[in-house]
Amino acid sequence: MSAERPLCVLIAALGGQGGGVLLDWLVEAARHDGYPAQATSIAGVAQRTGATTYYVELFPEREPARDPVFSLFPSAGEVDLFATLEPTEAARAIELGYIGGDTTALTVRERIFSTAEKMLPGDGRLPAEPVLEALQRATKRTVIFDGKALAGETGRQLNAAMFGAIAATGVLPLSEDACRAAIKASGVAVEANLEGFAAGLEAAGAPEKAATADGTANLEYDPAPAALAARVNALPAPVQAMAGHGAARLVDYQDERYAGLYLNRLAGVVALESKDEAYPVSVAVAQRLAAWMAFEDVIRVAQLKTRPGRLARIRADLGAPEDTTLVVRDFLKPGREELEGLLPPWLARLMPKPKPGKLRKGLKLRVRTSTAGGWLMLRALAKLKFWRRRTARYGREQVAIEDWLVAVLAAAKHDPALALDTANLAVWARGYGDTRERGLDRLASVSGDFDKQLAADGPALGANVGAALSAAYKDPDGEQDHDQAEPTGR
Amino acid sequence: MNIVAQLQGQIGPIGASGMERSFARQVEKLKLGEGETFEGEAILAITKALLQAGVSYVGGYPGAPMSHLMDVLAEARGPVLQPMGVMFEQSASEAGAAALLGASIQYPLRGAVTWKSIVGTNVASDALSNIASSGVTGGAVIVVGEDYGEGASVIQERTHATALKSSIPLLDPRYKMSRLVELTEQAFDLSEACELPVIVSIRIRAAHMTGKFTCKDNRRPAYGPKGPFPKPRNANDRIVLPPSTYIHEKEKVEKRLPAARQFILDHGINETFPGDGRRIGIIMQGGTYGVVQRAMRRLGASDAFGETPMPLLVLNAIHPLVPDQIEAFLADKDCVLVVEEGNPPFIERELRAIAQERRLDCRIRGKDVLPEAGEYVADVVRNGLAAFLAEEDADLGPEVRDRQKAIEKAADKARASLTVVPPTRPPGFCTGCPERPIFTALKLLQRERGAFHISSDIGCNTFAALPPFNMGSTVLGYGLGLASGGAIGNALDQPVVAIMGDGGFWHNGLTSSAVNAQWNGHEAVLIVLENGYAAATGQQHVPSTGSTAWGRPAKISITQALRAIGVTWLRRVSAYDVAATLKTLRAAFDATGKGLRVVLSDAECMLARQRRERKVTADRRKAGLPYVQARYGVDEEVCTGDHACMRLSGCPSLTLRPARDPLKEGPTATVDQSCVACNLCGEVAQAAALCPSFYKAEVIHNPRAWRKISDRVNRRMLDWLGAS
Repeated sequence: MSAERPLCVLIAALGGQGGGVLLDWLVEAARHDGYPAQATSIAGVAQRTGATTYYVELFPEREPARDPVFSLFPSAGEVDLFATLEPTEAARAIELGYIGGDTTALTVRERIFSTAEKMLPGDGRLPAEPVLEALQRATKRTVIFDGKALAGETGRQLNAAMFGAIAATGVLPLSEDACRAAIKASGVAVEANLEGFAAGLEAAGAPEKAATADGTANLEYDPAPAALAARVNALPAPVQAMAGHGAARLVDYQDERYAGLYLNRLAGVVALESKDEAYPVSVAVAQRLAAWMAFEDVIRVAQLKTRPGRLARIRADLGAPEDTTLVVRDFLKPGREELEGLLPPWLARLMPKPKPGKLRKGLKLRVRTSTAGGWLMLRALAKLKFWRRRTARYGREQVAIEDWLVAVLAAAKHDPALALDTANLAVWARGYGDTRERGLDRLASVSGDFDKQLAADGPALGANVGAALSAAYKDPDGEQDHDQAEPTGR
Repeated sequence: MNIVAQLQGQIGPIGASGMERSFARQVEKLKLGEGETFEGEAILAITKALLQAGVSYVGGYPGAPMSHLMDVLAEARGPVLQPMGVMFEQSASEAGAAALLGASIQYPLRGAVTWKSIVGTNVASDALSNIASSGVTGGAVIVVGEDYGEGASVIQERTHATALKSSIPLLDPRYKMSRLVELTEQAFDLSEACELPVIVSIRIRAAHMTGKFTCKDNRRPAYGPKGPFPKPRNANDRIVLPPSTYIHEKEKVEKRLPAARQFILDHGINETFPGDGRRIGIIMQGGTYGVVQRAMRRLGASDAFGETPMPLLVLNAIHPLVPDQIEAFLADKDCVLVVEEGNPPFIERELRAIAQERRLDCRIRGKDVLPEAGEYVADVVRNGLAAFLAEEDADLGPEVRDRQKAIEKAADKARASLTVVPPTRPPGFCTGCPERPIFTALKLLQRERGAFHISSDIGCNTFAALPPFNMGSTVLGYGLGLASGGAIGNALDQPVVAIMGDGGFWHNGLTSSAVNAQWNGHEAVLIVLENGYAAATGQQHVPSTGSTAWGRPAKISITQALRAIGVTWLRRVSAYDVAATLKTLRAAFDATGKGLRVVLSDAECMLARQRRERKVTADRRKAGLPYVQARYGVDEEVCTGDHACMRLSGCPSLTLRPARDPLKEGPTATVDQSCVACNLCGEVAQAAALCPSFYKAEVIHNPRAWRKISDRVNRRMLDWLGAS
């Protein structure tokens, strides 16, 4: 009896993931086994990271007497096999109605982030789990792969593994031999692709996995330094982990005395927040304050860049064998104000003020940290730690920190929600050079004279703080301000 | 990890060989002879059809989905075309390509040209009007690829309008490979029968469709270098001057179009499937046959092989329509559905006119149940067809309604499981693209100077209009970026800033933009991105590449051209040196009173460069010679997670990694394996005084003896210092 309809396969991928090659293999394998098939793609944007799809129809009857009619487009509920090389692309297919209860879905677990997600400061990532869960709910069967494992140590492309997985599902009547023959016929990277095919074949046969993604790494809290452990343990339980981690960071950054200053500052906030057992403001301050107090000046950067083991780690990241030569160049550009920041305050004040508007110059350093000379130079910079308390930068940062803390404390007395927002405003103290300067200005513009503002018009201040906080994530470079300043014409 | 060869000197200059990509397999398919089976993409099948039809010349301008035709023929020029005596050129623009058809006006020469429509057709329309007026002696065929619908990169318009106004027959073939090939060959016969050029239009998905057909031998053209046409002709009734133009216009309606209709009828160009003779039917463009059939099968009105009780009229020729054929189909129907993609609905209107003129009592439906705008994908057509059948077909109607409801319900159920919106993923610059650093520099300049208007152009550079750059306020056409800013500088009281690729410069930019600005004394800054190729369409060569697509050395210099038109302020920048570029842009911006200022960036398209370098590196690896792998990296501890670098780059290889440090609020930056070490990250970090997180790591494989020794000493010292 004649088959009722072609089997339909939709493949979603981003440009450069090898979706086109996967398509060619499928067509070639169908030909090898004598099944009529038709494939199509839109190659136009495929090479440039845009989302794209590939589509194949295969008639599950060998050399039928009449020619089946194929379509160039998938249609709702009639995608028998959906394969995607990026998990959130599945959401697009579901939106378009292609995925249904008869679909078998194959997806890689690892996200490839879009530009929109990457641009946002903080965490703009879309988690994969909700999409994977939706896929599992919507389909007959969903197979989720660990892309990193499939790519193997050589980092080969995932398309061959996906080909193997497609073969393993049995949705298409293609023999494994036909698939291998198709890979061989293409004549490109045959060995690596056959390995990938085998890996995919095996992975799709493995038991189903839950829809957990790898987007969230486990946070690693350092224990409190021994000398300060008692003080940290005296803090309320919810604050301890972050405070201990913060204290450890600041000992590494400067010394125990500096970490002690951190705990003193934190204690002020904790004392005002006994109403909420979760101590949200204190936890926020514990995090923000430690991050801020460990501000990345030239000394700190040099310290981090000369951490023992760094060169070995880079070598491992690159998968470079021992018998190769590794050259690591670091790009340091201490801006003028960062360099001036190393001077004592009185001397820094004598330096001429930079012209506003123009990007400020600085020292361009390209240090070959992988040579003994380069490494020593950076190490010498790191040793300036003893001098840090005398620098202009240190003085400025401490003043700004105190101003912010005063604002947090003032808010905490009146309104816990405002206190939390104000604590989080310290997110503006981030980045380097210009980014940091702009951020600190923004923070100061809200937290200055906080007490007076609070007394004069609490709600207005709350709105200001909220706006500044939201801008920190949505408009970090102040670009939207430009647009608002535009004249509207007559 | 991508690999950069150690010795740049080993790598040939840009485009010296003309063979960055290889189409050898495709070229082999063009050689197939009588009775052999062709298997491959439709666009290649069409290319084969041109050779089977006996073309004497082929030209065109690349653009999706027609680039492949040009690429393959360029490589086939030596092995296939020249031995047959077929002339091939990559025309400088679609206008040039269309003008090539001039060979068929006076001479019995068959020829074909190709481009992307609608944009290419617009550029070519001057020549097309003239050829259609003069009329042709030899078959002249224009193969256009319709970039309409999903993934389209151009404005959404119909080629149909051009065909109508110039009286050019327009074929929209049914997408079955054998039929597509047959109709392409018949297009030449049709052209000769009616003395008009003929357009064969194919949609983007169909161009990339795979399939097979049985070949014929390629046909050698009647005339060529080995047997030239005896004597030039100058029959002046072909010249477009009065009174010939008046005669041409009359001939079109009285002689040529009627001849076309007769040919269409006599040769079964359009196909009628009578069905079971019911009193409703469907009239469709040939190219929508597949989606109509799919919709009918889903609704229970057809089977997997296209067997249907529904009468169908498949118009493989959508201009001119044949009124007698239409009348024959409508005469015994109460109602027909017209499936016609795009707008305006020329076919539907003409059918109504025919029905009225011939006093036929048949209702015409179409855009009342199908969308007026947008691509006719399978589901869109199914929805329209379901509405039509439910209302008009008492026999199928009830089942259609049930099936339609079931399909919608299932899709809605799946959609309901979705709780998130997928991220948008527009195309962007490739990893290592030399255009990215220019926009980084422009963004830094905007930070200094405030926003300014940027006139964009066609090509990869248009992607800068999207995040993270958001640079580009207008796009008017290929090579028209500078011209399109002409009146803006005055209104905003700032220099016109325009971007143009080398493709755009040679296509139309030199005359319409640069000469225009220079001649009119515009205060303008033109940034020319000379990456060596028409990169967006697949790295086709342009006049400044250094060679033609088939490897003949030929270089036309952009700077010489600009100097020749009198441009004096001309600076060349090295794309990846952002600080220097920024300085040059600043100077260009401030050179008030100097007229047209040109900043030229000439770093090669990274895709093309990688293709060449990979080969060299692979050879060196095999030979055990030294080679370097280079990649950027980010120190996780140093990165503060503000992602300022992403906002100045948008490189696909610069991405996020979850932070382990609880003090960090979000993921930190990381550079993935696709990095090609273009240096932009280091440049941005320095030029924008951004961040010291980045490092560049180079791994030297198979180091030479002296390096091995010095490396050993260095590593000992590092050990001793406590670095490892």
